[in-house]
Amino acid sequence: MKLASHYNKVSVIISVSVLLISGLIYYLIINHIARQQLDNDLTEEVEEVVDYVNLNHRLPKPVEFDEDLTSFKKTRLQQYDTRFFDAPYANPKEKKTEAGRAVSAMVKANGENYIVTIVESREETEYLIQIISAITLVLTAVLLGILIITNRFVLKGLWRPFYRILDQVKWFNVADTNKIALVETNVDEFKDLGDAVAKMSTRVTTDYQGLKAFTENASHEMMTPLAVITSKLDMLIQDETLKPDQLGQITDIYSAAGRLSRLNQSLLLLVKIDNNLLQDTEKLNIKNIILDKAQQFHEMIVNKNIQLGMELADIEINGSRYLIEVLINNLFSNAVRHNKNSGNIKIELSGNQLQFKNTGTPDPLQQDAIFERFYKGPASDGTGLGLAIMKNICALYHCDIKYTFNQGLHCFCIDFKGGLEACS
Amino acid sequence: MKLLIVEDEQTLRDTIEKYFTEEGSICEVAENLKTALKKIAVYEYDCILLDIGLPDGDGFAILEYLRSSGKNECVLIISARNSLDDKIKGLNIGADDYITKPFHLAELKARLMAIVRRKTFGSNSLLTYNEISIDLLGRNVNVNDKLMVLTKKEYDMLLYFIANKGKVISKNAIAEHLWGDEMDMLDSFDFIYTHIKNLRKKLMELSGKDFFATIYGIGYKFV
Repeated sequence: MKLASHYNKVSVIISVSVLLISGLIYYLIINHIARQQLDNDLTEEVEEVVDYVNLNHRLPKPVEFDEDLTSFKKTRLQQYDTRFFDAPYANPKEKKTEAGRAVSAMVKANGENYIVTIVESREETEYLIQIISAITLVLTAVLLGILIITNRFVLKGLWRPFYRILDQVKWFNVADTNKIALVETNVDEFKDLGDAVAKMSTRVTTDYQGLKAFTENASHEMMTPLAVITSKLDMLIQDETLKPDQLGQITDIYSAAGRLSRLNQSLLLLVKIDNNLLQDTEKLNIKNIILDKAQQFHEMIVNKNIQLGMELADIEINGSRYLIEVLINNLFSNAVRHNKNSGNIKIELSGNQLQFKNTGTPDPLQQDAIFERFYKGPASDGTGLGLAIMKNICALYHCDIKYTFNQGLHCFCIDFKGGLEACS
Repeated sequence: MKLLIVEDEQTLRDTIEKYFTEEGSICEVAENLKTALKKIAVYEYDCILLDIGLPDGDGFAILEYLRSSGKNECVLIISARNSLDDKIKGLNIGADDYITKPFHLAELKARLMAIVRRKTFGSNSLLTYNEISIDLLGRNVNVNDKLMVLTKKEYDMLLYFIANKGKVISKNAIAEHLWGDEMDMLDSFDFIYTHIKNLRKKLMELSGKDFFATIYGIGYKFV
């Protein structure tokens, strides 16, 4: 539930209950006042009757008292307390019975005791109360309406800067160079929030850029010493007095230097993919790339006596040639390197899918770990970055890469259904 | 052939100089941009090996100088950055090739020979080495005037070995030359052996000579 809705709910509940309670109190007070007023009127009437009797020594005729119905009744009671009560009022003009208020009191005339009862119509006061209630209700409704509209629209407007900041945070990508823009608002809290978010994002981006630059520079700086090692070895092997076992050791150093160099290249490539620096997008025929790579890997495949089966459809995609070649290269490299002698590789390209299936270890790989950087199987002598690179390339193009193991076949399946959409 | 090596890393500069200095070749060195520009202004070179990252500026300045002064030296860029942008920039302003560190000296030499040959092609596209003569345009190889049919890899390998004649070349360097360094094939280089064996056999049949010497445990030498 949104904050505005929470706020709306609370404010509506509170205002409705306050209005209802105050309406009730209001009604009771008005009712009380109106009754008091009626009773005062009736008291006056009674006094008038008493005055009349004292003056004229006879009971007045009912007509002499307008509107109100006055009746006299002889009584033997010597003592009678004046009392007020609700009684029906028979309206003589409109010939109907209305709610009324009555008073009965004792009057003495000509030595006889009479009880006088005066009934007065309550209709008007009832009517007044009804109008007042109606007005109160209408006011309540209007107030509620205004409250809801205010909450909905004004609050929405008030919160707009907040949502703008939130959106920016949501879409914030540490690798992006676009900074979080400051949101213009008059609300201090949002201003503070916006400032804090902008500062934080700048700091994070700077740290990230620094780290990236560090990785890049470190990798580049390592290339020159590596070049020295390689070239020194190239010179060293020219020495004809070296014995075969010494040369064997040199071969090992060559291999280690080569591995270090590939590791560096892979790290640099990851940085480049992360930064989306390779944007040489063009139309590529995956089938042709796969066939080229198959040619390139031909010797290794033959050397391991691997059966290569390919079912390739003509599929074109949009992407960076370099990255797609790296992707296919790594797929091949994995399928060949982790294969067993006299194993097989099946490559299927159809629709939106590219599948590389190969024989290899009898057990499945750790599905959740293999795409991690520097994850290596127990028998792998690669850099541990090949699959991470593949995953990042796929992520860059919004494709899905999945590993499955079925009937002794390790399968890497790439779904092009994302950005690498076949451009037909 | 006259060569200028512009490289700030002293060990690397010395090693390249030593490897490239041979009969008929002169190597000169420059450790920074200033010296390099001074030398280029005064002398003529067949080829310049140019490191892009120099302490007193980047090597592109040399390419710009060469272009503005109408000089026609071959330039092979050596860069620590495997950057497509740098590569395109370098090739656009007159470099002939681009090689990324680390590299094998044999690869550097082969690349250098290739661009020098390309520049000096003119009327003569024939490369001769003893009995072997290669028509670089038609990619035909003749040994003792008899046509030798080679696969693409064997042809590449032959050129590579001729460029590095008399030098021991490691199997790692050969594999990287033929398959690229992204191949990541560490298990063994056995498959190179097949190619060498075939090339060796074909050369032997036509010339009666064995051009290859196997250096046990490391690689081969073309003599």
